[in-house]
Parts: sequence; structure tokens; C-alpha cells
Amino acid sequence: MRLIKETDIKFMSQSRFAFFLSGAVILAGLISLFLQGGPRLSIDFKGGTLVAVQFIEDMDVNDVRQSMGAVSIEGRAHDYSRAEIKHFGSARDISVRLPILEDQPENFPQLIVNHLYDSFPTVVPADQNDFILSIDKVGPKIGAELSGKAVMAIVSALLLILIYISIRFEFKFAVGAIAALSHDVLITIGIFSIMDYEISLPIIAAFLTIVGYSLNDTIVILDRVRENVKSMKRISYSDMVDHSINDSLSRTIITSITTFLVVLILYLFGGEVIHYFAFAMMIGVVVGTYSSMYVACPIVVQLHKGIKS
Amino acid sequence: MKRKLTPRYIIIILVLVWAVYAIWPTVKYQNLSDDEIETMRDEGTLQDLESKIIKQGLDLKGGIYIVLEVDIPTLVSNLAINKDKRFEQALANVSTKIDVESQLDFFQVFQEEIDAAGLRIHRYFDVDFGGSLEEIIASLRDQADDAINRVLEILQNRVDQFGVSEPTIQKQGNRRIIVELAGIQDSERARDLLQSTALLEFVLIKSPELTNDMLLRIDKVIKGSEELADFTQTDEKEYIIDTPAPISEDKTISVSDLFGEQAAQAAADTSDTAVVVDQNLVENRPFSSLLRALGNDIGVPEKNLYIIKKILAMDDVQDKLNAANGQFLMSDAPESFTSIDGLQEKMYRMFYLEGESELTGGVVEKASATIGGTGSSASGQSIVLLDMNSEGARTWSRVTGGNIGRRVAIVLDKKVHMAPVIRSKISDGGTMIEGFANLDEAKDIAIVLRAGALPAPVNIIEERVVGPSLGADSVAKGTQSVLIGLALVLVFMIVYYRLFGIIANFALIWNIILLLAVLAMLDATLTLPGIAAIILTVGMSIDANVIIFERIREEQRKGKTPRAAIDAGYDRALTTIIDANVTTLVAALVLYQFGTGPIRGFATVLFWGIVISMFTAIFVTRTIFNTMTERRSLQKLSI
Repeated sequence: MRLIKETDIKFMSQSRFAFFLSGAVILAGLISLFLQGGPRLSIDFKGGTLVAVQFIEDMDVNDVRQSMGAVSIEGRAHDYSRAEIKHFGSARDISVRLPILEDQPENFPQLIVNHLYDSFPTVVPADQNDFILSIDKVGPKIGAELSGKAVMAIVSALLLILIYISIRFEFKFAVGAIAALSHDVLITIGIFSIMDYEISLPIIAAFLTIVGYSLNDTIVILDRVRENVKSMKRISYSDMVDHSINDSLSRTIITSITTFLVVLILYLFGGEVIHYFAFAMMIGVVVGTYSSMYVACPIVVQLHKGIKS
Repeated sequence: MKRKLTPRYIIIILVLVWAVYAIWPTVKYQNLSDDEIETMRDEGTLQDLESKIIKQGLDLKGGIYIVLEVDIPTLVSNLAINKDKRFEQALANVSTKIDVESQLDFFQVFQEEIDAAGLRIHRYFDVDFGGSLEEIIASLRDQADDAINRVLEILQNRVDQFGVSEPTIQKQGNRRIIVELAGIQDSERARDLLQSTALLEFVLIKSPELTNDMLLRIDKVIKGSEELADFTQTDEKEYIIDTPAPISEDKTISVSDLFGEQAAQAAADTSDTAVVVDQNLVENRPFSSLLRALGNDIGVPEKNLYIIKKILAMDDVQDKLNAANGQFLMSDAPESFTSIDGLQEKMYRMFYLEGESELTGGVVEKASATIGGTGSSASGQSIVLLDMNSEGARTWSRVTGGNIGRRVAIVLDKKVHMAPVIRSKISDGGTMIEGFANLDEAKDIAIVLRAGALPAPVNIIEERVVGPSLGADSVAKGTQSVLIGLALVLVFMIVYYRLFGIIANFALIWNIILLLAVLAMLDATLTLPGIAAIILTVGMSIDANVIIFERIREEQRKGKTPRAAIDAGYDRALTTIIDANVTTLVAALVLYQFGTGPIRGFATVLFWGIVISMFTAIFVTRTIFNTMTERRSLQKLSI
């Protein structure tokens, strides 16, 4: 069976349209980021407390919110009803997220769990340990450090890749590849902002995987360009690049399909914890495939023209 | 040309045998029933088996991950002598700076601060620390390094005695310790066990007269204080995240409310008071009016605890306490009382103690938890029995002998566990502590007392708990996703590439077996993101074969014979595969460097998944193709 017969698509002449499309999506993401004052960061980076608990019946978020209106801490009543309270996966599971508060005792998350457990005595499991799904408490220091490290990780990955491609290929290929990667990550961050999803540690892992995956795709195509430069001296550089993309199109599509399939499965069946990671990867696979053809290659062609003239 | 394929097959078979051997313990372990596990634990063979299996991370197994930071400012403060306001101010400044910029070195900033404040540092430290600022800073630094190593050792000791299978306790940088306790469910207990400084003190309690006097003085000091008014105001910070919700007024306690209740309550209590709380003087006595009388003790209603602590921490109050060489401490847990009008109220006891302790936990030689025997004063209660060394026993004998009739508080981590009256001289050092909620708590206290006190307090700066049900859920869903994803890809490949698809599928399954074998051999930990990486490997590792197959198809279209097409396809595809995958390897390595725990698990699996898929595509499937073209003269490739 063959999905892709021999093709002769003029990718380079479509690239102007592609630039507008990419530009529009990135712009929408940037506007969303601007309006929201930057990406929505999880407690991994901002610090704070996230408690997820499991009731034995479906719970109404508003009931939980109401009970969070009076939480007693060291005998002092606090109103946490404005905290972020939502379902965590299923309707039985509730997560409560609170920022770092002043005078917060060391066992603050435990107090929140205890409060929720005592507030709904009829719908909680008999053993409190079965009630707790997860507790995360991140101090402000750790959060700030992780943010720095995450940025460092992405930047150093990009740099190392730039160096590798410059050595194995040409510098202009490296520029094209890096542009494609940055494009992919920017779009993913933008879509996360538009969807109002938060950026957590696993999402950073997803970004780096997207970087790796998108690059994989780009390099397979650029590798063909490198090969065809020698054998196709008679046609123009731009036509030669088109030819190379068409040559590898079949492989590009097949690999994207298999990878997308598994990520989709992960998104559908992987559970709450991995849900957003899988979502980021889904965007990454689609955008990564697109950007190898429509971002990396046109830039290489443009740079080639620039060098010649 | 006949190629020698036999050595290749030998290598492939050897690798397969090794892989099965490496995975076998994991398969065996998965199929063990709970009873069998218990039997193996008793026989001592469990540990051996567990060391060979693929470990599950905390996010799958359930457990606790805690990052502790040794409180260096407090350590320095503890080492200092003759501390005064200026010294403490300097230290506080350093702490604030460090908190804002965590990469700053404490001692560097401390040295600058001392310099800037023009403090003569040798006044505050013993001559042993050296004479000059540099010398003193250097020896303080040594003390801090030494402290974290001791903390590490003590925590190790505590956790070992607590009985957790395979705990991980490791140093991170030079101030932090990461503790991972898999399978533990009671996070509160674990936290107490780790964080308790285990500072045991025996402190004499001051007389009721002195106590009353101090209460009066505090009342006088804080009367009309603006600071006091602040505490009783709404001091909640704005913390809206993004959920607009109906906003109700904060239910902060107002002093006037208390006075109202206080007046009603105190009327019932005044009968047997040593410490008189006079409700008629509430306005004049803003501090003592928050308290209740509990027999000979002072009671602190739970709802007043926050304000009481705030008042006691006020500078003016601290000055008065320091001048009188006294301190107020609370009991470790509240007790329930029923007032005459039937209201349930939780109260802590508050004690006025001497400023210095008579004896500390350093003298404890043995500590054990038990239930008090019938006939003893602690019959049926959970208690901890202590044995002291000879020096401790001598001091204890002198203290108890000289203070018969006085009360002594047994204080653990600044909380009063009991405050018995000394009835007779204790000369053998044997002492009993009561006041524990249950035997588990008593056992944990005995553990921390045996393991010794921490040289410096530790703060929890990151804490993550995964409940067992969430972990089990993640394993189930992760496994399900891997299987469905695998099935889909297998079917797709057969439909799309027919015979070659079967070969690619063989390679894919081989990849996964080899990947699991490598994880088992490397002692790697499988996390939920790690499972995600396995799924990604399923999707991505097919890529190497796809590149080769597409190339073979292309060469065939150019009219090459099957054999020549395969050879050309492989030759051309090789560099592509390596270049394309090396970059993903770079991303995986960076991720490994950056991440901790779950993220590292992801990076590890991704890295090995790619390496193995390259090996498989280049070496294993190639060998199969060569065999095919060797044995029969292929006219057409089923691709």
C-alpha cells in the first residue's frame, strides 16, 4: 500500500502563504500571552500548594468552594474560597490550588486535606490515605530556581543542536532548523495560553521532546537536500529543495502518522497526570511536521539566495 | 557474493538471551502474590529480587518526595554567644537577601553584612573559631558543611529505623537533602520524622507568682500597641488566582468578640485558679484576657493560638522575657474541654519556663516506646522510656534532688510534652515521657531521640506526595496506552508495508524488550513520564525503518533489483538515521541534566529508546533482509 505516490508539490511557492499562516497563529498566541501577562505557570515554577483528593461520590465544585470559605489554621479561620478549585480527571476528584501564603505552617497542605476530609464526612473513604491523590508543595526558592533551569535547558538544547547541525551540515541549515524549532515551541506556548492550560514541569519536557522530534523531521529533509545538491546541479536551488521535500514526503507523513497515533492514544487514555503533556506533544507533532517543510526549507532557500547575491 | 551472516545471528541471539535474562526478575516480581512477597521478605530473598527489577518511581508506586534545606542562619545563630540586637539584625538581613536571591552564598553575604555593619565579630564567637573575620567565617563554613553531613547521617538513621523499603536520601548541593520514601502513605508522620530536630530539653517551670507577674507585665507592654491592632485586623494577602467567585468577608477573629465570650467563659473558671484571669479588666489586660485557667495551668483556646504566638513574638514582649530569663511554651497538642454551658473547646496548655534548660537530649543513651504497665501512673498510655549516660544521670540526679516540689517540663522541639512535679530524686537517669497521642507517635519520638538531635533545623522547601491510588491508576492507564498504541502501530505497519511491515514490527517488539532490559540493567527508575517515553519510542522508533523502507521503494522504482535496492536503501539511509536521531539524543541529554525524578525518568527512556531503535534498524533488520535475499532469488519485494 502507498498513501503518497510520487508527488511534485511546489512547496517553496506556497511558502509565502505558509509564512502568513504561521505568523497569524504565533501572533494570536503572543496577543493571548500579552493579555494574560505571560504564560500561566504551574506551582512548579510559581511556588504554592496543590492538593488533589478523591471522594467516593461525584462532587460539585461549588460545594467544595463553599467549604473552603472557612479553613481553620492554628485556630484562625481563613477564607480560601477564591482558590483555584476544579475537577481533577473525574467528577469524584477535586484539586485545590493555593499560592504561597504568609505565615503558612509547615503542614499547610495536610491541614487543607484534613479540612476537606472533615467537611464532607459522608462521601470520603474510611482511610484518609485513600483520600489523598497527590500533594505538591513548592517553596518560592525552588520555583524560581526551576524557572531559571527550564529556560537554561531549552536554550542550551537549541545551542547544542545549532552546533551539531553546523558541523554535520551547513550553518544555513542550522539557522533554518533552529527557526523551525523556535516556531514550534512558540506556537505550542501560544496555544497553551489561548486554551488557558498551565505550563508545568512535564510540559517543559514536552517542549524539549518537540524540539527533538521536529528536528528529526527537519534533518531527514535537509539530509535529502544535502544529497541532491550534488546530483541536481541543473535545476534551481529552490526547485531542488522542492524535489527533496517531495522525495522524503512519504517518510515524513508515515512517521508523523505513527507518532501522532501513539500520542493521541496517550491523550485519550493516559490519565489526568499525563493529559496536558500528551496535548503538547500532539500540537508538537503536527506543527513540527509542517515547520520542517514550510519554515526550515524556505529559510534555507532564502539564506542561499542571500549568500549568492 | 556470499555474506557471512552467522556471526551476526550469534550476536543477535546473545543480545536476546541477555535481554530476557535481564527482564526475567521483573516479570517474576510482577506475578508474585502479596503472600509470596511476604514469604520472600521473611526469607530475605526479596531484597535480592527487588534489586534486579525495573524500579517504579514515586509517581507510580505512591510515596513521598521531600527536599529539605538546612537552616544555616539558625545554625550560625545557635553557635553565636553574647548575641545582641545588632548581631541579630545583621543575621536577619542576610536571611532576607538569601531568600530573594537563592544562588547567593550565605557566608559571603554574612561576611559583607558584618563588615558593613561594623560589627566586631569575635565578640560573638568563641575563641576556637579564630580571631579575624576571615578565620571565623571559614570555621563557620566548616561547621555548616559538617552540619549537613551530620543531618544526612541522622536522617538516614531515622529512616532506617522507621522501616521503609529502599529509601533514597541524598545530598543536593551543599545545603539540601532530598529524601524519597516510596510506598509510604502517611505523609504527616514522615514529615514529622524528618523535620523534628529532636531537641529534647528538661526545663524547670517558674512559680505561679512569677508567671502571674509576667502576664501582667506583658499586658502592660502591649496595651494600646498598634502592632496588636494589626494582628487582629484582616491581614490576609490578596491571593486570587483566576477564579472569580463570590467573595465573603474573612473570618478573622476580632478581639472584641473574644472579650464577649471570655467574660461568659471566665465566670465558670474562676473557682480554682492559681493564675487569675480577671474578665473585668479585659481592656487593661489584652494578653491575659485571651487565656483561660486550667487548674494550675494556663489554657490557650485554639482559636486564640495565632494571636498569642504573635504577641509573644513581639519585640517588646521578647525583651521583657529575656530580662526575666523566661520563656513561654505550649503543649504539643490541644485537649478538649467542656464548659459549664456545654460548649466544646480545644485548648493548649501554656507554660512559663526558665530560659535555660537543665539537661538536653544529648545525654540520652537509649529510648524505647511502650505502653505504660498497669499500676504505674501512665497505665495504658503510650510512653517513651529514656536511659541517660552517666554524666546525664549525675546532672539529672542533682537537678531532681535540688528541686523537689517544683515542676519540670519535658520539652521536645519547643513543645511541652509533660510537666510533672518532681517528687523525689532520680539517681539512675531512667525517665519516662508521656503525652503522646498513640503508640506510633511514641515510637517515632523514640526513633528520633535514639538517632540524635539535628545540629541545625531543617526546612521543607519542596514536598510531593503521590497517593497509592493515583499511582496505581497511572500504571494501569499507562500500560493500557502503551498496549493500544503498540497495537495500532503494528496493524498500520502490516497494512502499509506487508512483509516488510512484519519485519518492522518484529523490530519494534524487539526494541521494547531491549529497552526494558536496559532499564532493568541500569537500575533506572520507571516514572509516568517514562511510560510516556516508551509510547513515544513506539511511535518514533518505527521511523528508522520507515526511512530505510521508503528508500528501498525509491531505489526499486529506479529499476534496481531487490538485492541492489536493499543495499542502496540501507547505505543511503544510514547517515540520515544517525543525523536525525543524534539531535533527539541531545534533547534527551539536556532534559536529563535539567530534570529531577519523573523528568529524568522520561529522559532516560527516550535516550535509550532512540539508541536501541538505531541499533535495531541498522543491525537487526538488515540481517533479516540479507537472509531473505540470500536464501532465495527474490524477484519482487513485498514492500
